[in-house]
Amino acid sequence: MAPKINGVGIMPEDTRICVVMVGLPARGKSYIAQRAQRYLKWLSIPAATFNVGNYRRENAPHPSADFFDTNNAEGERKRRAAAEAAVSDMLKWFKSGGVVGILDATNSTKERRRWVLERVASKGIEVLFVESRCDDENLIMANIRDVKTTSPDYVGQDPEKAALDFRERIRNYEKVYKSINDDGDEDHLTYLKIMNVGKKVFINRIQDYLQSRVVYFLMNLHIRPRSVWLSRHGESMLNLEGRIGGDAPLSHRGEEYALKLPELVRESVGSDRPLTVWTSTLKRTIATARHLPKHYNQLQWKALDELDAGVCDGMTYQEIADQYPEDFQARDEDKYNYRYRGGESYRDVVIRLEPIIMELERSEDILIISHQAVIRCIYAYFMQKTQEESPWVPVPLHTLIKLTPRAYGTEMQTYRANIKAVSTWRGKGSTAKHEDPAPEGGI
Amino acid sequence: MDTLLTAEIAANAPRYRRRSSTFIDGIHDVTEDQGNMAPAQLYSTMSGRLFHSGRIAIVMVGLPARGKTHICVSMARYLSWLGVKTRIFHLGDYRRATVEGGHVPEDYFYPNASPASVMLRQKILKKCREDIYAWLNHENGQVAIYDAVNPTASGRIALAKEFAKHDVQTLFIESYVDDQEILKENARNVKIHSPDFHGMDPDEAAKHYLKRIEKKIPVFETMEEEELNYVKMINAGRAFYYNNVSFNYLTHRIVFYLTNLHIKSRTTFFVRAGVAEDEESYKADAPLSLEGKAYAKKMTEALLKHRELERRLSIEQGGPDVPLRSLTVWTSTRLRTIQTAEPLKELGYKVRQRSQMSQINPGVCEKLSERAIRAMYPEEVEKHELDPYHHRYPRAESYHDLAVRLEPIILELEREQNDLLIIAHESVLRVLYSYLMHCSTMDIPKLKFPRDEIIEIIPAAYQNEAKRIHIPGLDPKTIPGSPEDIRIPVPSEPGANLPPIPGMSSPEPIEVVVTRPPEKIVNKAKEMVSDKVADED
Repeated sequence: MAPKINGVGIMPEDTRICVVMVGLPARGKSYIAQRAQRYLKWLSIPAATFNVGNYRRENAPHPSADFFDTNNAEGERKRRAAAEAAVSDMLKWFKSGGVVGILDATNSTKERRRWVLERVASKGIEVLFVESRCDDENLIMANIRDVKTTSPDYVGQDPEKAALDFRERIRNYEKVYKSINDDGDEDHLTYLKIMNVGKKVFINRIQDYLQSRVVYFLMNLHIRPRSVWLSRHGESMLNLEGRIGGDAPLSHRGEEYALKLPELVRESVGSDRPLTVWTSTLKRTIATARHLPKHYNQLQWKALDELDAGVCDGMTYQEIADQYPEDFQARDEDKYNYRYRGGESYRDVVIRLEPIIMELERSEDILIISHQAVIRCIYAYFMQKTQEESPWVPVPLHTLIKLTPRAYGTEMQTYRANIKAVSTWRGKGSTAKHEDPAPEGGI
Repeated sequence: MDTLLTAEIAANAPRYRRRSSTFIDGIHDVTEDQGNMAPAQLYSTMSGRLFHSGRIAIVMVGLPARGKTHICVSMARYLSWLGVKTRIFHLGDYRRATVEGGHVPEDYFYPNASPASVMLRQKILKKCREDIYAWLNHENGQVAIYDAVNPTASGRIALAKEFAKHDVQTLFIESYVDDQEILKENARNVKIHSPDFHGMDPDEAAKHYLKRIEKKIPVFETMEEEELNYVKMINAGRAFYYNNVSFNYLTHRIVFYLTNLHIKSRTTFFVRAGVAEDEESYKADAPLSLEGKAYAKKMTEALLKHRELERRLSIEQGGPDVPLRSLTVWTSTRLRTIQTAEPLKELGYKVRQRSQMSQINPGVCEKLSERAIRAMYPEEVEKHELDPYHHRYPRAESYHDLAVRLEPIILELEREQNDLLIIAHESVLRVLYSYLMHCSTMDIPKLKFPRDEIIEIIPAAYQNEAKRIHIPGLDPKTIPGSPEDIRIPVPSEPGANLPPIPGMSSPEPIEVVVTRPPEKIVNKAKEMVSDKVADED
């Protein structure tokens, strides 16, 4: 999707969008910005976030609440300078080929929004305002606790004090905050207003497809805290032989993992709260999920099936290298884009996983039991892995992964079942049946 | 005539539904190939329902002339394309089938209607609901779209309760319009063809029509029900309001589609790219040959002439004397399509390139004749003939892959407000055409787009129609599938030779009458269905 020059020197796609976040602190703005960026990059659309707070911290690393009082001239000046710096950097980034830039700041006054619009629109970049409005006190408090105990502004401070100071900061913003088009004189803006985490949504003047795509994604997003658990199926009979694909039953050790999984999940969840379980339609994931508690809702998704290796399905890497040497080499050169004869590439898998990602963003507490390539793609989405890295990430068997999205990144915890299994990871150029993953390996 | 007749039969017999005559789109048809996957369907399930969503009733809300029918039909088109089993239930069809000519008593829509009118209303509603339940419960339907005015909050709340009792989730979609220009435009386009308005100035007639609606349906409450799932589309998509009680994935998908939809009418043209120099290579991306350049000029002339002619005809028939709608041109990023658009670009038309619109990847079939493919890959050919839509040759794309790749284009197509000319490879035209005209997946690989024809697709509220416009003066050699086309063998059972639009099959070179005048194929589709949208549904 990066702008390409073709034979006659015309840019095939010229849409560029600046997403301008709007809203009081602790309304999930940074979280939303970060998720949108990750989603777009995952779909190969160049995207970046420009967080005004990061620029401000260069001059004022740990400000107290009165820094944000509009009557504090010094504070005003520094905050204005930070916004200016962020916008300049963003415009530079657009010049170098950026497609969706996200300006993460409160932009809570009409004046500020007008200023951003003028700066950005004059460069031929579309502006989409995204406001998160929330008056649910419980939700705000949960966000304050979560964000502010992890925010760089309050590093090393007592969390209780930090929360109090932060409330005070919000009050300073509330004095001047104006929701988009509340006075009816901002109807010309393109905007998305999300109220109380998506219970009500207002969309105004969407101009093109890419904007609608961003809006669609943001509508699926929620900012309630939750986690996603990932696991591969237990070791299968074909894993033992070092063969890829197929629809084999579990090995003896794979069965042991299936029995152990409920305990592992309970340990990780920390309570008896039920998860929703998604498996693929293949025997080995369904068998792996079958001992989970009855009150867990289970669903099978075709889209979670393993990458289709086409003619190579059921072969060992050595057999592939022997029978399709060119293919074997081509795949190692560009594993993300390589499509097996009659089968799929990682890129194909990402496309078919898009509905899953969308559903995942909407849902709370999901456990996914799937396959190596699919888990890699989902992992790449949450951990922002590049297309070069993601197809090579080691995802060991018999390991439960817990991912918790937070405002400033995703946290990962792993839980090993301590049941032996073969390694199915393979290094570039290797045809080994079972190889130990590279030591710096991901999970 | 046929459509009218079958509409009545349809409304009276839930098991029998209309099968449209072939030159109008099949969006109201019932397909018999229940087992087949839809063009962009990613997977199938045992129940036939997708996206882990249960059964959904989409209930339309809005006064006449708000573009409801157009929204229903477009939505059904998109959902079916994704593989969601969808059917539209126009309450108007049931009313027409129950009351002769659809002429209901004066007080039919009044809140204080006479007992006889209330009884009649109940009877019609009951029939329609029974059909909806039959579709969802016994015919594996997933989405039922209920096209009616649904003017009152109490009525809508009761309806949602009733559906919930049947384990059906309800999503209301209101088309709310307070922009007088849009209202007049809608009324002018679809509502004033009835004899009552004959000879009247179109603006005047539109005003009369809107007045009449106001009188006939005196009570209308816009949606504000906190407890219902609803989407309010404001002024033909300028703004949206969502009240989300329990949206699921499918609902979000519908919402995404709606943000790209508008209800203004505009035309789409399809043409092939000209012949290129190194015609047989997919990878070479060769420029146009001399014939190709000549084609680009003639195609441009024919298209512009046709547009001017249409405008004149419309004025002669009493249409307003307005300038032509702007025309935007889309090409793929392949050189031959870009160069085919060159004459238009020189005239100042806006040309945009879309990378997703490049032709189907032929894989190993590149540069091979059909005979060679048959000799070298007999097994693949056999598999291909069993399922030409989903099968992919080694290293190649299937039509299904292509359809999935084109999905963003589909949404942009809906978004585009100008008239649109698409210059692309035949494989891309097949898929885009099949979306707009709702063709079965089995027919898609066989659709023919001879080079001497411009295909024009005119969206109408009830169903789209297609016309073909002849491009005169072309070298007959370049007209049928040129060598540029990768000849992926497609099954050609004799007898199954029914082209999805009659006359769209490619003529043999010998039969081409080069002097054929640039006239359109006359088609009565619009008149045939005008009654569908001319009354107060």
